[in-house]
Amino acid sequence: MSDIAIQAEKLSKRYTITPGSHRHDTLYHQLAETLKSPFRRDRREKEKDFWALQDISFEARKGEALGIIGHNGAGKSTLLKILSRITEPTSGRVRIYGRVGSLLEVGTGFHPELTGRENIFLNGAIIGMKREEIHRLFDAIVDFAEIEEFIDTPVKRYSSGMYVRLAFAVSAHLRPEILIIDEVLSVGDLQFQRKCTNYAEELQKSGSTILLVSHNMFSVKALCNRVLYLSHGKLLTDGSPEEVIPQFEKEGSSTSSSSSSEGDVSISITDVELFDESGKERAIFDFGERMRIRLHYTTPQVIHNPNFVVALIRSDDVACCNYSTALDGYSIPTLSGEGILEVITPPLKLVSEAYEVHVLVWDKDFQRPYCFQKGLRFHVRHHLFSTHFGVFHEDAEWSVPTGLLKINPGSSQEVCCHD
Amino acid sequence: MVDIQPTKGLLHLDLFAVWQHRELLYFLVWRDVLTRYKQTAIGAGWVILQPLITMIIFTVIFGNLARFPSEGIPYPVFAFTALLPWTYFSQALARTSGSVVGSTNLVTKIYFPRLLIPLSAAIAPVVDLIFSFAVLLVLMAWYRITPTWGMLALPFFIVLAIMTALAVGLWFAALNVKYRDVGSIMPFIIQIWMYGSPIAYPVSMVPQKWQLLYGLNPLVGVIEGFRWALLGKAFPDVAVMAVSSIVVVLLLFGGIVYFKKSEQTFADLI
Repeated sequence: MSDIAIQAEKLSKRYTITPGSHRHDTLYHQLAETLKSPFRRDRREKEKDFWALQDISFEARKGEALGIIGHNGAGKSTLLKILSRITEPTSGRVRIYGRVGSLLEVGTGFHPELTGRENIFLNGAIIGMKREEIHRLFDAIVDFAEIEEFIDTPVKRYSSGMYVRLAFAVSAHLRPEILIIDEVLSVGDLQFQRKCTNYAEELQKSGSTILLVSHNMFSVKALCNRVLYLSHGKLLTDGSPEEVIPQFEKEGSSTSSSSSSEGDVSISITDVELFDESGKERAIFDFGERMRIRLHYTTPQVIHNPNFVVALIRSDDVACCNYSTALDGYSIPTLSGEGILEVITPPLKLVSEAYEVHVLVWDKDFQRPYCFQKGLRFHVRHHLFSTHFGVFHEDAEWSVPTGLLKINPGSSQEVCCHD
Repeated sequence: MVDIQPTKGLLHLDLFAVWQHRELLYFLVWRDVLTRYKQTAIGAGWVILQPLITMIIFTVIFGNLARFPSEGIPYPVFAFTALLPWTYFSQALARTSGSVVGSTNLVTKIYFPRLLIPLSAAIAPVVDLIFSFAVLLVLMAWYRITPTWGMLALPFFIVLAIMTALAVGLWFAALNVKYRDVGSIMPFIIQIWMYGSPIAYPVSMVPQKWQLLYGLNPLVGVIEGFRWALLGKAFPDVAVMAVSSIVVVLLLFGGIVYFKKSEQTFADLI
């Protein structure tokens, strides 16, 4: 029993919807309605029950990373709200063992008039830290947020980047035993999102339980070892990402095609695979080897002239190189449905480190990004070349330029002097 | 271990959770006090000016023009003594009523006992009360009125004032989530309440047969208590005090029950 983090039994949540757009938001309405139909039963009939969740039961163990997937309105957010105690279930029960933190709450309760220092204490207390704990972590939080010099400035004078950094720094020091991430609500630039993901991964390694709600199957696959698939408030499947995600994607393809009329271009990278030149799947490459990156995509519509970009990002966030269809002169006139695209890199001369493959799909003129997928990790191996040597290594040729010295011995020195 | 279940029964008040979160209560009060007068020219000076200006208006209109009796006490002191608890009360009531709606971003994003929200809103203006109390002491010295030992009983009347503000504020705070009409009604309620309390006039102006009914307004007990404790007036009628106290306790209990009942749907309705 002791390794259980969350135990949910037959959770249900009912919302009552009043037909017509107006709810009884004002006393006037309520009175008018009551006068029109004084008997309660009459009014009841007009209201409709909507079950956002029905009989959801599951258990999560400590250290497990659970993905919660489902289409819009499937009940994912309601489930998260119940687990984080924002709203109560209508029936059922959940037992939660350990402190819950969420990335919904980044910056919750920040007051613009208060200084960074004051907000750290306020926000820390709101998300559940003890005063003594905030005192102890204070310096670490300020360091992490990189805002030392502005710590006594009201946060309304902060740039949005500083604001988010400070808010995230407080949240990241809570170190909850259960972390809830709702990706629909996650904001910020890519770098911030990467920070969140790293934080979640690191927490999970130290034994925390992660709950991730996401539409992005790629990040679910990357982070989660178990997936709950919700549909219309019910738990459809509970299993490994390999078995659940294909089921979700199959059922999703019919519904998502209807939503393409909005003019938005949607394409998603459903999988990224790495092979060596001979086609063997690999995660570790030797320095100088070529890599075959296979992209699986799916799109409900027809896309004209998309540009694919594959970037290799080192684990310390250094973007090492980019391969793009545009630069390499490979044109894709149209694209539709599901498909595969493969790129073979030149010999990888990157130093020995961990890297990540990021995939971006752009429109024809690189004006609008259609999709961004952060992805798969791989390692490059070399006995000597590490990050101390820089980003990449190519052999250079050395010599003593004897000929040059004889013909014009003074010129190089002159140039030096002028500089 | 946290056990999440639908709340059953009206009396599951879970006040222990409030106690467990007392540090957060402290921070919320601290935030309210700190942010109250930021970016104002006079800043905390308003704390003193608000009751002072009201006192001057009252003195001119009710003291000099209408010639209300003040039971042998200089009218400015008479009025200001009552304005201390009244200014606190009106501030606390207005802020408590709007507190939950004003904390939408907290309510929809994170759990903590919701009672802390109105509670902190009711406690924060006590700081203002303490500042204006200093002004009263200056005023009393000016009119050469020596405080009595009754002053030691002042905390009791302050607690009664807090309980009154909270008792009424809890109802409105919860109602406000569902019906925003509360925001429009509030100024009138406060105005009526002011005239229904012995601030500009002494209790003795109310006919004897209505005294007990008048005592249903808990502020009557609070204000009379303040005047007794500070100015050495006769101790308020015990029966009136008892009625005031009982009304407050009942209202407060009902308010907590109603608030707890409504709080389950705050996040869904707000």
